[in-house]
Amino acid sequence: MKPAAIDYARPASVADALSIMESDVEAKVLAGGQSLLAVMNFRLARPTQLIDIGSLAELNRIFDDDGSLLIGALRCHRDLETDPLVRDRLPPLAEAARHIGHIAIRNRGTLGGSIAHADPAAELPALAALLDAEIYVDSRQRGRRVYHAAEFFEARYTTLLEPDELVTWIRFPTLPADAGWGFTEAARRHGDFAIAGAFAVVELTGDRRLRRARAVLFGVTDRPWLIEAVELTGRVAAPDIWREFATAAMAELVDTMEGAYRWRVAAGCLARAFERAAANARAGAHE
Amino acid sequence: MSANENARVAPLVGQHVQRGEDLRFATGQGRFVADHVSTTTLHAVFLRATQAAGQIRSIDTLAARDCPGVLAVLTGTDLAGTLAPIGALHEPNEAFVDAFSFQMADIAIPCLVTDRVHYVGEPVAVVVAESRAMAEDAAELIDVDYTPGTAVTTPQAALEPAAPRVHEHLPDNIAASLRGGFGDVPAASKGAAHRVTGRFRMGRHSGVPLECRGVVASWDPARGRVDVRTSTQVPHFVRTAICASTGWSVSEVHVSTPDVGGGFGPKANVYAEEVVIAYLARLLGREVAWLEDRAEHFVASAQGRDQHLDAELAVDSTGHIVSWSVEFLADVGAGSLWVAGITANTALHSVGAYRVPHFQVVGTAVYTNKTIVAQYRGAGRPEACFALERCLDMAAEAAGISRLEIRERNLLRAEELPKRLPLPYRDGVPITYDGADFRRCLRACEQRLPDDLLDTLRARYPGMYLGSGVATYVEATGRGPYESATVRLLADGTFEVGVGSACAGQSHETTFAQIAADALGVPMSAVRVRTGDTDAVADGIGSFASRSAVVGGSAVHRVCSQLRARARELVARCLGIEQDSEHEPTWSEVGRLLAPGGELAEQAPLSVTGTFEPPTVTWTMGAHLAVVGVAPETGIARVLHYVVAHEGGVEINPTVVLGQIRGGVAQGIGGILLEEFDYADDGQPATATFAEYLLPGSCDVPPVDVVHLPGPAQLNPIGVKGVGESGTIAVYAAVASAIEDALSCPAGTLTSTPVLPSTMLDIAESSVDASV
Repeated sequence: MKPAAIDYARPASVADALSIMESDVEAKVLAGGQSLLAVMNFRLARPTQLIDIGSLAELNRIFDDDGSLLIGALRCHRDLETDPLVRDRLPPLAEAARHIGHIAIRNRGTLGGSIAHADPAAELPALAALLDAEIYVDSRQRGRRVYHAAEFFEARYTTLLEPDELVTWIRFPTLPADAGWGFTEAARRHGDFAIAGAFAVVELTGDRRLRRARAVLFGVTDRPWLIEAVELTGRVAAPDIWREFATAAMAELVDTMEGAYRWRVAAGCLARAFERAAANARAGAHE
Repeated sequence: MSANENARVAPLVGQHVQRGEDLRFATGQGRFVADHVSTTTLHAVFLRATQAAGQIRSIDTLAARDCPGVLAVLTGTDLAGTLAPIGALHEPNEAFVDAFSFQMADIAIPCLVTDRVHYVGEPVAVVVAESRAMAEDAAELIDVDYTPGTAVTTPQAALEPAAPRVHEHLPDNIAASLRGGFGDVPAASKGAAHRVTGRFRMGRHSGVPLECRGVVASWDPARGRVDVRTSTQVPHFVRTAICASTGWSVSEVHVSTPDVGGGFGPKANVYAEEVVIAYLARLLGREVAWLEDRAEHFVASAQGRDQHLDAELAVDSTGHIVSWSVEFLADVGAGSLWVAGITANTALHSVGAYRVPHFQVVGTAVYTNKTIVAQYRGAGRPEACFALERCLDMAAEAAGISRLEIRERNLLRAEELPKRLPLPYRDGVPITYDGADFRRCLRACEQRLPDDLLDTLRARYPGMYLGSGVATYVEATGRGPYESATVRLLADGTFEVGVGSACAGQSHETTFAQIAADALGVPMSAVRVRTGDTDAVADGIGSFASRSAVVGGSAVHRVCSQLRARARELVARCLGIEQDSEHEPTWSEVGRLLAPGGELAEQAPLSVTGTFEPPTVTWTMGAHLAVVGVAPETGIARVLHYVVAHEGGVEINPTVVLGQIRGGVAQGIGGILLEEFDYADDGQPATATFAEYLLPGSCDVPPVDVVHLPGPAQLNPIGVKGVGESGTIAVYAAVASAIEDALSCPAGTLTSTPVLPSTMLDIAESSVDASV
């Protein structure tokens, strides 16, 4: 389990990293290495060289903007989990990070790495898609571009990212103060990849009717699966509406899923995520 | 000897003595096999079969030989005639063979295959290079041309008349078979009030040690021998195998174990890699290392369990056992050097802790195109226990009594023990359960489950279905034929003790030192224990079969007691000082007197080597109680509370006993809920990483409450029984029973391991449907 022979570069700036990426499209960017190094050790991935971006301190910062958090791609999961700023401004992000692997993995794995890797069972791409985060990427040829997370993930391990593009920043919109969110994940052991999981966000009107309810499922299809409960708009957010909705919403997925068991678990996760989100939402406080 | 310098009265055996190993392991100072590799060590990589069955048409190694840093590339053809295959590690006694009509196929495991592969992972060629990475680069360039064959991956398929044979030289795929029992099962069961039958399957899983296997060997030209360091539980067996395969004499091979990071049975085996690396070290005159990596471990280290059992239990209207019969198939993959032991264990532990008037067992071990099999903690016993305990739950339901009650009624009582069964053990001696009272373990378990515990757990885990289950087991421990030990007095008054039982983490340095110190009348600090080294003791068996404390410990006790007696005799004879006199010299004085220039320098040094041969095995018994919660939305189960009450002998070190039980329970939980080596129909392993093969982590193992009840242990001088495997045996059945209780489904619904969340979710949903 040793990787095949490989060149190694550790650029000192984003610009240097982009130069190497432009000149060698078979190179791979190394951030935390929690997914890449394993497949390299199995020799399933054989990049020509590793571009270790671990020195790019500029990408390991976080900014508190109006209505959003701007987070550098090198921020590790453990930081997202424990950072008081994240926990205060965007608690579902801290919750998502807490469910990634184990502490040793979270100390190495990075936000940008998880977004670029696009594992369909991963928490961070799912939350990014749900909140339609902005993914900032840089390349020598095209300069900076911004992708919308809701459209960024195309399939298992496949995104819109071009080979010469580096994910540099992710802007997560924060939730309205009265919005409720719910998270649930089913895994056989703590830290495992999810069998299925769901994030939901619910906003209510003043008389506790649904203004907007949306969710994302992960681990279920080949990408984060977004669900907008349009048909529930205006209904009273009673606790018992979610089971039926989740089952109906999941009906659409039957053909694309690998197993009945996963389907049932996913339906349960979706219902519970909604239930929790609705229970946490405050009635129309900002109206 | 005088105790003045070492004032100590209380015996150490029985005390919670802190493990001497702890400081070293907890501070990163342990030295495992990979810590013995230097910058000049060469690295070997084994090219392994990628097909489960087939012929090798040709192997092209030219490109690999040309790679930078490569010193040797060898195939099975290159080694044919040089390295003989490795033979079986256990053959049962004649009396057992006769009583069970036991038969075993003639099989030996080749070091490197020559023309035919038998499982994915089988060693095909070996590359030696300056580094592991270079060796892997070269191994990748070896071109093996296979004619694919048809793989068989289940014992049922392998027993079909037209099934392809795993081993071409054998007439069929039967590795071993046995048949035995007592009474008349067909006649007795005919009139029974209730007959329950079950078809059970225990999935393939094994001990997955933290440290994989590894071997470092070097040629010592001065002494004319090969030094082999290997991560094993059986260094003396490894030496025997190397000698048998190479034709070298015993004096040409020295085998030792460094610190070993877990064994659990898969390392109580002898492997082709150990023989090949020893051979390469001598061939090249260099130090050569092979360090198994985790990817290799999943296909190349021996696996375990994998049995199918058909069973019928007949009880009368009050739930008393009338008859019990089991017919099992053990899937031993491409072969097992322990096939006799595993099949015998299942057969001999099938009667369990109960009063069984009529019993019969039929067992068949079968070859398939899967990884080789060795013993794994329990080694055939958990399978026997699972079938019997599952059937008892079913019979209880049929008879309308509780699961506890049926066990209470059938467990052997104090007045029935010791109990002799009309069956010989593997050593040929008739089985005698040398226990005290099997019902008290069950009762002790019940007492440890207070009425309000389930309520407390319900409050703590709202929304989970909770249930409890119970199971009992028996275990034959401390198997012979012997273990050897040696002790010598050093000039400074301290002692070096050598034991044949190698240590794979079982605290031998501490427990053997406790025994030695007591026998010598010295503090533990005066005793240094050396295990796992063919230089420490010339002969030895090793650590497996819950035998080290019983047989190794007794050997230590014996040689140390003899040394003390010999010292007293020497002092009395040469110095005229009687035992316990105030003039009796201290051990360090004796050491100085015996040293060159000392008054007793002409006398033979104080050193004793000897063996202990147990008359037969000593039996332990225990009851396990599990409380399990099942999440109704996912079918994911968690063991929330666990109690073990067992009847053992003297506890040499209660902390170590506790650790053995808890570790055993953890592995049992893995086996019933998580772990399985899975294979596709073509024999390709489907579990090749820890993403698929799930081990229980700290979050998956609850606190385990252990009640130790002393029983009689008269078969050895230190009064101990084995405990290494007992923690694992009953876990499967207890947890399965608890899940059925939690899901309110009929007894016997769960028949195979691991119990998957999807199965539990199906049951949870159907029982909800049924109740609507």
